[in-house]
Amino acid sequence: MPIPCRTGCGKNAMLKRPKTGDALCKECFFWAFETEIHFTITKAELFKRGDSVAVAASGGKDSTVLAHVLKTLNERYDYGLNLMLLSIDEGITGYRDDSLETVKRNRDDYEMSLKILSYKDLYGWTMDEIVAQIGRKNNCTFCGVFRRQALDRGAAMLGVKCIATGHNADDIAETVLMNVLRGDIARLKRCTAISTGSEGTIPRVKPLKYTYEKEIVMYAHYKKLVYFSTECVFAPNAYRGHARALLKDMEKIRPTCIMDIIYSGETMAVKEEVTLPTQRICTRCKFVSSQEVCKACVLLEGLNKGLPKLGIGKSSKAKRMLDEYNTKQEQNLKDAIKQLDNDVEKIENNCQSNQKCRSNLCKNKRNGLLNKKSCNNKCSGNCDRTKVIVDNTKVDNLLAKYAIHEPVKKINTDGNNIVNVDEDFDTSDNEDVNIDQEDDTCSASCGKMGSLIGF
Amino acid sequence: MYCKKCKDLGTLTIRKEHLYCVKCFMISVNHKFRACIGKNKILSSNQKVLVCLTGGQSSTVLLDLIYNGLLQDNHKKLRIIPFFLHLTGFGEKETDHKVAELVINQCKSYKFNVYIVNISKFYFQKSNTLPDINSLAETNTEQDLKTNLKNILKKVNPTSSNDIETKIKHDTFRRVAKECQCNFIFTAETTTTLAVNLLSNLAIGRGSQVEYDIGFSDSRDEIKILRPMKDITVEELHHYIQIKNLTHISIDKIQDNNLQSVIKQFVWDLQENFPATVSTVCKTADKIGSIDKSDKRCQFCKSAVVPNNEKLTAIEATNFSRTVSNFHLGQYLNEETRPKELTNEHDGSMFPFINEYFCYCCSKNYLESGNQNNNLFKDMLPV
Repeated sequence: MPIPCRTGCGKNAMLKRPKTGDALCKECFFWAFETEIHFTITKAELFKRGDSVAVAASGGKDSTVLAHVLKTLNERYDYGLNLMLLSIDEGITGYRDDSLETVKRNRDDYEMSLKILSYKDLYGWTMDEIVAQIGRKNNCTFCGVFRRQALDRGAAMLGVKCIATGHNADDIAETVLMNVLRGDIARLKRCTAISTGSEGTIPRVKPLKYTYEKEIVMYAHYKKLVYFSTECVFAPNAYRGHARALLKDMEKIRPTCIMDIIYSGETMAVKEEVTLPTQRICTRCKFVSSQEVCKACVLLEGLNKGLPKLGIGKSSKAKRMLDEYNTKQEQNLKDAIKQLDNDVEKIENNCQSNQKCRSNLCKNKRNGLLNKKSCNNKCSGNCDRTKVIVDNTKVDNLLAKYAIHEPVKKINTDGNNIVNVDEDFDTSDNEDVNIDQEDDTCSASCGKMGSLIGF
Repeated sequence: MYCKKCKDLGTLTIRKEHLYCVKCFMISVNHKFRACIGKNKILSSNQKVLVCLTGGQSSTVLLDLIYNGLLQDNHKKLRIIPFFLHLTGFGEKETDHKVAELVINQCKSYKFNVYIVNISKFYFQKSNTLPDINSLAETNTEQDLKTNLKNILKKVNPTSSNDIETKIKHDTFRRVAKECQCNFIFTAETTTTLAVNLLSNLAIGRGSQVEYDIGFSDSRDEIKILRPMKDITVEELHHYIQIKNLTHISIDKIQDNNLQSVIKQFVWDLQENFPATVSTVCKTADKIGSIDKSDKRCQFCKSAVVPNNEKLTAIEATNFSRTVSNFHLGQYLNEETRPKELTNEHDGSMFPFINEYFCYCCSKNYLESGNQNNNLFKDMLPV
């Protein structure tokens, strides 16, 4: 027997709302769905009149519905917003390439401008390449960390006031559970906030915070919106899966539990005596970070040094890995210097200078890097100077490349980020080549990786 | 293959990696129990403590730990004056009796006296006379049937029913403790149970009460509930019981259509595959408090209610959802014609009496228990 629509419009209901249990017809549902999002936006004061807003668009149901609803509400209630789409191309074959086509269609359908940034351009690596390095486990860490920063970069380029993301109620409840399971108290505190962003950063808002995934799917389906519904090819191994499975099981029993979890998250607070990491600016890339160097930079460093696991797990582990790496590098450096010294010796042997130079200072300083200086001082001009100088710049280069504790000197300034970043990668890529050549312990994956990015 | 403490031959593997010999293992469990009481500095010496027993594994171990503590010599003696309580009236009469008899026997073997109290008598009939010790006096009056907890909770959905039962139990503990002039109560929740409770609390909207429901001490009332077994895991319990060959009884209510049992299953699986997660979950709980506390208390669970403020929360969002699902299209397009949001039980609010008489979860429980169930909430609301 058909159930009548709860609003009393006379039509038959076609869905039961999970949040309240009320049954609504199609038209009333559309209206209720949109009005609720309007309520969230106005009550939480997410936007200001005249703002430019970037909608983080993946082509999936959430962001498609978000773009559609924001456009509708912007017109209906005259928010006066300038909406645009911002997409990140992670470089996942069979997933993102297809979904970006959907975003492009959204761009045309909703008449919004679209900006696409790719991991390849920003970081020099695509997710496909990263997964080839790190394997199927932990790869979501890279993708998530990089995307977060990529969105910030994109928003800065577009000059928008805020970024609207398509996080829905299910996502947020899931994150609360996940952060409890991981004991991540700092994120637990932030994750239920509808608007996040400290001073100096571009805030992110979640207009769909109180909207159930189920209703989003329904809305997209009945509105016949074009969206991309394949799950990421790398996602099944993510830790999030545990929390998601639990939430889905709970939702079956009691659909309101999603709102209940969000309420729990909203009313919880971290005890005063607990010290939390403070938000600051990464010393390398100048984007938001809770550490001196942000996670994105650490992960990237790991990738570029052939230590993909560097940013995964505890920071103490990372330290140990870096130490090991450094000792190895030192060894390499010593070898390289020895090699150079041999070269110098050869040169010196060829050199027509007197015995004094070779036997005294040049030899003494052999382990150091001061060949050039000593030679310059003591060799009375007969030494083949130019050659020595060339060799020494090579040593300097090597040193500059291998010394990782030194902060990268080429710090990106806003505006021409990408160019600088690319330069950074160029140097580090060369370094990788060096590792590949000199380090026999490097497994085959490393070489494979090298060929992938075309060394 | 050696014990990680004394380098003797180890026979027990804890968390799949730590090997212990029996002696060191028992010391470590005892230490966890004593350290938990000691470091929290809530109990001063020679306090009267009401120990709540269920006959289950953790309660059996708690009883044994207390007995051992009292036996120690001066320096290490556990300085409490224990009273023992077992509540009945949760299930079928036969099983209730069986469990109560076991608890009496357990206590007898340690020469302890135990009160067997029927929860309906103390909670619903407001009786406050303690029964004779070590006796199972059950009557079968009409009033007993009417106030039978099982019958009352039958109409409520299982998730809420579990929650209400826990709250009623705690309230009864406190009533009995008052009669015995105890200011403290011991319950036997283990780390594993508490991890389940934490996730359950989150899932039913009791996130802000985690501090009291999962932490060492529940100080929502003058009479404090303490959880001295909070650092001991279920795995350790199993070993303890086997080593000491203790008798216990487990009445697992077979229900699978409630959140608590789904979460329990989830945590037990975690325990199996990721043994560290359970303790992580509990450590997280230690760091969680609640946002601004007010003096106003929920009439049912005694938790502080969240003071009303302008911020958008899940309450407003859900209420708005209800409102918007009940009126004709277009009615809300401008602010002036928008009717007031629904706030009390008669006009279909999702949260009756919220933040006035009830906290979020109790308000939901009230709504779900329906009007037939006046027994549960009748004294708490204005007439």
